Order: sequence, then structure tokens, then C-alpha cells
Amino acid sequence: MTATDTEVRARTAIGHDAPRVDAVAKVTGAGQFAGDLKLHGMAYGRLLRSPYAHARIVGIDTNRAAALPGVIAVMTGDDVPAADPYYGHALKDRPILAIDRVRFAGEPVVAVAAEDPAIADEAVTLIDIIYEEMPTAVTIAAALADDAPHLHDVVNVRAGLFHGLGEIHLEPGNVCYHHAFARGDMDAVFAAADVVIAGEYTFPAVYQYSLEPHTTIAQWTGADDLTVWSSCQHPFLVRAELADLYALPVGAVRVVVPYLGGGFGSKSYTKMEPITSALARVAGRPVRIANSIDEAMVTTRRHGMKAFMRTAATRDGRLLAREVRAWFDTGAYADNGPRVVATGADAAPGPYRWEAVRVDAWGVYTNTSPAGSYRAFGASHLQWCGELQVDEIGRRCGLDALQMRERNLLSRGESVRPGGKPLDADLIGDIRKVAASLNWESPKPAGIVGRGMSVGLLAAGAHPVSTAAVRMEADGGVVLLVSSTEVGQGARTVFGQIVAEELALPLDRVRVLGGDTRVTPYDRSTGASRSTTIAGLAVQRAAADVRAQILAIGARLFDLPETALEIRAASVWHEGESVPYRDVLKAHFGMVGGELIGHGEVRPEKGSGSYAEGPVFWEVCIGGAEVVVDPETGRVTVTKAVSVADVGKAINPRLVEAQEMGGAMQGIGNALHEEMLFDETGTLLNATLYEYHVPTIADMPHTFASNIVENEDGPGPYGAKGVGEGALAGVAAAIATALADAGVIIDELPATPERVWRALRMHDDRNDEDSTGSAANERATGGAASWG
Amino acid sequence: MLEPFSMHQPRSAGEASAMLSHFGEDATVYAGGTELLVVMKERLAHFPHLIDIKRIPGLADITYDPERRELIIGSTARHRDLERSPLVRQWLPALAALEASVANVRVRAAGTIGGNLCFAEPHSDPATLLTALDARLTLTSASGTREIAMASFITGLMETNRRHDEILTSLAVPESGPRTGVAYERFKLHERPTAAVAALVTIESGTITDARIVAGSVGARPQRLPDAEAMLRGQSANESSAWLAADLIRMEVETTSDAFESEAYKRQLARTVGYRAIVAAIRQATGADGSRHAA
Ligand SMILES: Cc1cc2nc3c(=O)[nH]c(=O)nc-3n(C[C@H](O)[C@H](O)[C@H](O)COP(=O)(O)OP(=O)(O)OC[C@H]3O[C@@H](n4cnc5c(N)ncnc54)[C@H](O)[C@@H]3O)c2cc1C
Repeated sequence: MTATDTEVRARTAIGHDAPRVDAVAKVTGAGQFAGDLKLHGMAYGRLLRSPYAHARIVGIDTNRAAALPGVIAVMTGDDVPAADPYYGHALKDRPILAIDRVRFAGEPVVAVAAEDPAIADEAVTLIDIIYEEMPTAVTIAAALADDAPHLHDVVNVRAGLFHGLGEIHLEPGNVCYHHAFARGDMDAVFAAADVVIAGEYTFPAVYQYSLEPHTTIAQWTGADDLTVWSSCQHPFLVRAELADLYALPVGAVRVVVPYLGGGFGSKSYTKMEPITSALARVAGRPVRIANSIDEAMVTTRRHGMKAFMRTAATRDGRLLAREVRAWFDTGAYADNGPRVVATGADAAPGPYRWEAVRVDAWGVYTNTSPAGSYRAFGASHLQWCGELQVDEIGRRCGLDALQMRERNLLSRGESVRPGGKPLDADLIGDIRKVAASLNWESPKPAGIVGRGMSVGLLAAGAHPVSTAAVRMEADGGVVLLVSSTEVGQGARTVFGQIVAEELALPLDRVRVLGGDTRVTPYDRSTGASRSTTIAGLAVQRAAADVRAQILAIGARLFDLPETALEIRAASVWHEGESVPYRDVLKAHFGMVGGELIGHGEVRPEKGSGSYAEGPVFWEVCIGGAEVVVDPETGRVTVTKAVSVADVGKAINPRLVEAQEMGGAMQGIGNALHEEMLFDETGTLLNATLYEYHVPTIADMPHTFASNIVENEDGPGPYGAKGVGEGALAGVAAAIATALADAGVIIDELPATPERVWRALRMHDDRNDEDSTGSAANERATGGAASWG
Repeated sequence: MLEPFSMHQPRSAGEASAMLSHFGEDATVYAGGTELLVVMKERLAHFPHLIDIKRIPGLADITYDPERRELIIGSTARHRDLERSPLVRQWLPALAALEASVANVRVRAAGTIGGNLCFAEPHSDPATLLTALDARLTLTSASGTREIAMASFITGLMETNRRHDEILTSLAVPESGPRTGVAYERFKLHERPTAAVAALVTIESGTITDARIVAGSVGARPQRLPDAEAMLRGQSANESSAWLAADLIRMEVETTSDAFESEAYKRQLARTVGYRAIVAAIRQATGADGSRHAA
């Protein structure tokens, strides 16, 4: 491989705003999403879901539905034709269809396949199910109570294929995962500290809200060959789980991924694929299941959380110790809960120099819809709590937020956590950029105005395994095979730019295909900000492999050593003389035809690449905000949002900015608006956009500053490292700290107008209106059973 | 997904009414469908027969009656029509402004004023303002027509005085008198307003001589607020009077509870938008907002 070669050559294809390669297809409607596909003979699936959060299934009568003309198959939990009726990549705790019992309102109980969607709709209304309601545990507090009903026999739950987070030993109860670490002498440091800040915090469940809900089509060709077209982020992990469920070799399962209408984690790991493939098998026909939005909202969501945190410091503002206990509500099934808990726990101390740290985090089952990945998971849960405490310590010590961070942030090379990768970023440089963008030193405008900043680290990259193949065709053009999913982030464009760069081709000579596990090579997953960094590195290596082949052939043609040659403008050059690639291939194969195939692979470079030894890189989660609060209504306006994309190298700066802005907007939604509300029976109250407010153009910050930092210090191609998640956690936490700066102390997100109004009134005695709990407050007081 | 239904397109309100009588509970009026079709898609109700009134000639007309000094609005006029109508802009600028901010452009382009009022959804913007403006509604059936005051049309949560066989055909909105300001203010947290107040204030030489204050969205239906009105009458037209009235609004307004905002907070919001509406109406009546009142 000729890596040094790359560094010296002037870069032409990367580092600029190449237009998205998928833009025209998407805006003209030519691009295909899963919902656009129609297979010959395809039937339409529909699910009957449980109205109860916790109930025994006493009986199911499907006769009337099965008799309806046009109904092809009716499947209950007893009819699921899988070798293993339970799935779950972390814990195998989830039946493909409910078996004997339902654990959340919205759990699929019966699946129907019919000739058309209207018949399927009608058929599910003809199914009679007798339930016997069971006691529920809808909140974390209820699930941890001594007399709580147990959702699962946790002691005997089997680990899934991708548990990957160490041994699990669980006591009977509703805890599905516990992650803890400690270093230093906590008690002694706290006892001796001058300043101690403690608080309890509540973080809401939210829906990832990609525009496209989950859509899956499954087709069996014989008993041992399954093809699934699915809106999924991790096709190879889905393939592995499906192969496992049906006891098939992995090669027998093919997962094809069309364009995705967004994911944000909602399409990570397995979602609708097990049910759809089972129904297709029973129906003997290809079957499509397309979730509606309200079904998608009970398919996956982000974990709500309750936490206790305390932080100790010296009187001159030096941070000493932090203790965190956090309970993550994973809903009725673990889904990606264990990994979310572990990442959240790891991020909890924040990027500061501690003498002592103790973190305990639990994943808790409740009778609500299952929770999994959501953009910036881990970081977003606890960063805002920790940053509020850092600022509060600053206020007590007479230091502002910038001074606190300059004094306490880790420097490059310092250990973030024992055994893991040391810090690979310049956080103080980054936070100063935030301050500059906020005009930190300038006087604030009149009114209730606050400015805030926040910084955190997210263990990014997931397990570093990706492969890619570059095929150079006889005409000198390239087809790139890579399985990272285009979820809207621009992966195909960036990969195309990398290939164009390595092979001195114009971008339009590079075709980037979507993932197809039988065609495109293995990639672990699309998430954890890893596509450009890890899959991109595999792409770069595959292209470099082709370049080496071209140069080797060129050396024979010119009868010169390879070092005397260079590539430029789709040709091999020696001084003023050049041979176009197509002639290089023609000379090599003796005909117009043949192809050169390059292979690129990324695997752990040290150790096993395990979570504990990672991460691949630390994603910097940094943000700033200026807010204005209306004291009459409590409405918060974000006048400024700031992000710093510490990307190492921006292969496409405009895409980086788009990622930052998208993340910041979701951060604004998370901080101010979004919250899934379950009532005491476990029913989701706001499953539509009427009541669930996703930020719109009207919620945009008045100004948005995105700073791109390019220190070329990442492990990816050209020193790149991932972006896309940092701004979400960074901006959400910065809004919380900005509110505190304005005198609005919030311990529960989102900071809805009513919560802000109430927080303001706590300081306002003139106001004599009753201050008894609101509907919102009463609902939210399901605190963890005990903090002790 | 919608269940199948038959659609009927009568050519007159009388014919539509006859169809409603004929099919009874199996039929309902279909105007823009922005509420009705959602209800049917969610399978909260099913009507085998929809009586589409959009083809009835003249039912969407907007005219001005110079003798009675009233604006006559046909029930199938869409929000978008009202928002853009030169007549509405001229004679009822507050209504034109309100209409421009109802829902979103897709709903405004299909949804009608009649559908909005007949559905009697408690967060209706126009219902609140039209109550303050003393609008009168005309209901037509096969057996004739009757007129009913907007203030008594909506009787409760999604309930009206309309009989099943009656079609709302038009509404008459009297022009507000001289030295009178009309303003509508709302606060929105979800898709529809959370609190809204319409204020109509008449001023003679710096003193408020008449006031009509109506709160919407916070309770089951639009509500006149007599205490606030009484307090304003005789007061100087200024911001402190508006605050005094706003405090009364908070106390007298009736609220309903839901899962989203507490009643205390809704009362606070009613006070806030009430203050803003009263101040805006005062400014308008005194010409302090730069507008020339159509005399
Ligand atoms: C997303 C969304 C947001 C919205 N936001 C707002 C908002 O911010 N403010 C606001 O005020 N409104 C809002 N609305 C409501 C909107 O104004 C109404 O949906 C619309 O005006 C209803 O008119 P329509 O013609 O579509 O009624 P339809 O859906 O056709 O009918 C509604 C009901 O009225 C009956 N009906 C209709 N016309 C007549 C008639 N002439 N005589 C007798 N009965 C009749 C029908 O039988 C039906 O029961 C919103 C609606 C949506 C969907």
C-alpha cells in the first residue's frame, strides 16, 4: 500500500463540497426506497398489536380472519416457523410474535398476510383475543419497586449474538444489564472537598423520527434461501440474526438495503425482519410489512433515564470527583439497551481530570415499548447533567463556564478511561471556538438571556471491521462495493470522493452501490459515526489496491520502475507521456474487457477491538447556545447555536455542516420539545405529530455557527474521524447550561415552556398562583425507588 | 386506511339536507375532509354515505352587504380563500390575519370555515374570534332556514346546536363599529393553539366604553369572560387596564385538563395572550398601531 504517496500528492477530489451523488435520484423520485419495491406475487402484511401493557394471552381466535377472501395467512406466536422463536442481538429476550404474554402496548400478537393492504387491515379487525391483564411496571420506579412484577426470567435469558459487553450475572428482577466502574477513593475525596453539587435528573424517552417508518419485504426461495429487502442500517448484523433464527448458513440469507429515509438509530440491528420473514414463510409468498408512524413509534425509541449525580471540587474550581447512578428505561425488551447503558456510563464522568470516579448504570425493563439506539446515544443522556454541575461549581467558585473548562478539561494524550484509547482531540481549542462563536465576553442583550457551552466525549466507531471492493472496469470507470448504508448522511458521496481521490478519477466515473450482503462485502454496521472513518478507510485501501495494480501494469508498459510513474486525470503518467486507464487494462488483458479488483479491509489494529479497549476514536460532543426566555409563557427561543465538528479532515465540508446542523436541530428538539408520554396503563399518549413536536423550520436557531476543526488526527482516511452525533448531545446540553445561566434551573428535559415557567416561578414569590403539581409534574415524579 | 363509502354530490343545500334525512346516521356532511377523513381513517367513525357539499353553487361565496354592514361568508369558503379575500382583508383584517395562521398551508387549502365550526374542535381559532365578533350562522334544512348566534352554536366539547339534517350554509359577521379595535392572540405548543383570546375594545376619548373578551382553546368551547369585560368598561385605555383585565381572565377562565399542560399553566397562558390581545385592540382602536380603522 502506498499511503505516503497519498499524503504528498495534492488532493483534488476530497476536501471540497462535491454535490451529493444521490441528490438527483432522490429529488426526482427515481431513487428506490423499500416502500417503492413490489415483488411479483407480493402479499401485504399487517400486525395486530396488543392494547395492553402487560397481559396473559388466554385465547386467540383467528377463524373469521382466515376465512376472509383475500387472506393468505394468519400467524400467531405458536405458528412462527423459526428454529428459535426468540431474538435480540444483545439478549434473546424477545419473541418474534408474542408467546403466551404481552409486555407492552403495541406488541405484535398476530400477523396477517393478504392480497392487498385493505384486506389485511380488515382481517385484523376480525381476530378475537382474550387477554387477562397483569400488574404493570410502566416507570423505572415501578419496575424497581420490591413488589414489581417481573417482565422476564432474567436469570435464564440467553445472550444474543452481539452481546459483546462481558459476562452478565443478573439477580431476579427487572434489571437486564448493569455496568459499573470506579477508580480512586471516592469517599475520602468527597469528604475533603470544598464544594459538592448533587442533583437528580430526568431524561425523556423520545422517538428517533426518521421520515420513513420501517419497511421490510421478505421472500423465501425454497426452504433454505431467504432474501430480505429492508430499511435497515446494519444489513450484516440482520443477516446473522436471521440465519441464527432459522438455523441457516449465513450465506443462505441475503439482505438488500435500498435508500433509507433516515434512521438515526431507529433502524439499527433487527427490527421488523424476523416477523416479516416468518410471515413470508407461512404465506409461501413474498410479504411486505410497512410500519405506520405510530407503529414505528412503538417499535423503537430512545431510553428515558433517571439519574443521581454529584460532583466535588476545590474552592478554586478544580474538579475532584464524580459519582453517578443512572437507570435507563429499556422498555419491555432489551434491544440495544445494554450497549446504550454501557456507553452512557462511560460518558458520564465527562472529559475531565478526576481523582475519583464511580459510575453505576442499569438497564431496566418496563412495560413500555422497547428502546434502542438513537443518534449520540450514551452522550446525550448524561452530558447535560454533568455540564450543569460543572457550571454550578463555577458559579460558586467565581469562575465562568469557559474558565471552568480551561482549568479542568483533559489534554490530548491523557487517559479518558483506564485501558482505553487516550484522548485524541484538542478539547480546550474546541471549546474556545465555541466561546468565540458565542461572543462570550460581549454583554448579553436585555431580557432573560443565557449563554451556555458543553463538552463531552462519545466512544465512537463501534467494532472496527469493514471491507470494501473496488472494481475498475475495462473503460477505466469504477464500481465501488461497500455495505455502509446511505441513511441520508451522504456516505455514498464521501466514498465516491475517496475513490476518485485515490484513483485520480472524476466523481462521475465512480458508481457507489447500496448494500447487498450477497454482493457487497462485509461491514459491521452503519452507526456510531463510523462510515467515513472505518468503511471509508476500507474504501481507500481497496482503491489504493487498484492503484497499485495499475501502476504495476504501467511499469511493464513504460518499462520503468513504478516510482517513476504517477496517476493523474484517469491516466498513468511518466513526465509528459500518458496512457489512459482503459488502455492500461486493454494492454493487460489483451482485449477490451476484464477488470481490476481491489480489496480493502479494516480490522482492529491493536488488541481485539473490543469495547473495553476502544474506542476507535473519541467523538467530540461539543456545543454552544444562546437562549432567550419569555417569562410570561416560559417559551425558550434559541437565538444562537454553535457546534464544533472536530473531524480530523472534512472530506466534504458541506456534508459535515449538514450533519452538524441536523444534529443540532435534533438537540434542540430533545432539549426543548420532544418527549414520549406513556400514561399509567403504558399507552403512548402522543403517537402523532399533533402532540409530539418534532422541531420544524420555525424552531431553527436564529443563527447557527458550525466550526470545522481539521487537525488530521483521526484514524480514518486522510486523518478523518466521524461526525454526526456530537452536535446533538453538545447542543442539547448547551441549551440546558444556557438556561441555567439565565437563572432557569432545569433538572428534567425537555425544558418545555411549562417547566421553564414553573422553574422561573420558584424564584418569584410575588406569584401567588397555586403551585401544586401540574399534570406534567405529577406524571414525571416516578423517580427511582431509592437513591441510596 | 379508509373503508369504502358512497359519495353524493347534491346541487343545493336543501337537497343535501334531504339526503341526510334519508340516510340518517349512515350519512354525514363532507366538506374539505381534513377532520372527517382523519376520523374515518382512524376508524373512530364510519359513514357509508358522504354528502359532498363543495359542488353546491354559491356556497363558497364571500360578499359584503353594505346596508347591514356585514360580511357574508359561505360555509365552504376555505381558510385560504378567507386569508386572501380582499373583502375580508378590508372589512375584517383580524379574521384575515387569523386565517393566514390556521394550521398549515395544506390544511388551509382544503379545510373550510364551515367544517371548522361544525366540528367544534375546542382549539379552533376562528370560533374564538367569531364569537367575539358576534357572528350569526345560517343553518339550512329541507324544511327551511334558521339563524343562530355563534355564541350559542357550540354547546360543548365537539358538540353543536346543529341538527343532523341541517347544513351550515353561511355566516354573517357584522363590521365592528367606529373607534373599535379587534385583535386575536394565541399561543401554540402543539399542532393547534394551547390558549387564545379575542378582544374587541371600543374607546371614547381615552376611556374604554365597551369590551368583548372571548377565550378559546383552554376549555371545551369559546367562552365570554364577563368579569374581564366589566372591569375594562370605564377604564382608561392603557396597559395597566389590560393587566388588570388579564388577571381576571386567569381567574375566571374555565379550563379542561389533558395529558399535556396543567390547568394552572393554561390559565397563565390565557392571561398572557389576553393581555396581548387587549393591548393590540386598544392600539388599533386609538390608531396607535398606525392602522386606519375602516369607518
Ligand atoms: C393538521 C391540522 C392542523 C390544524 N390546525 C388548526 C389550527 O391551528 N387552528 C384551527 O382553527 N384549526 C385547525 N385545524 C382544523 C381545520 O381548520 C379544520 O380541519 C378544517 O377547517 C375543517 O374543515 P373541513 O372542510 O376539512 O371539514 P370536514 O373534515 O369536511 O368536516 C368536519 C366536520 O364538520 C361537518 N361539516 C363540515 N361542513 C359542514 C357544513 N357546512 N354543515 C354541516 N356540517 C358540516 C362534517 O360532517 C364533519 O363532521 C387543523 C386541522 C389539521 C388537520
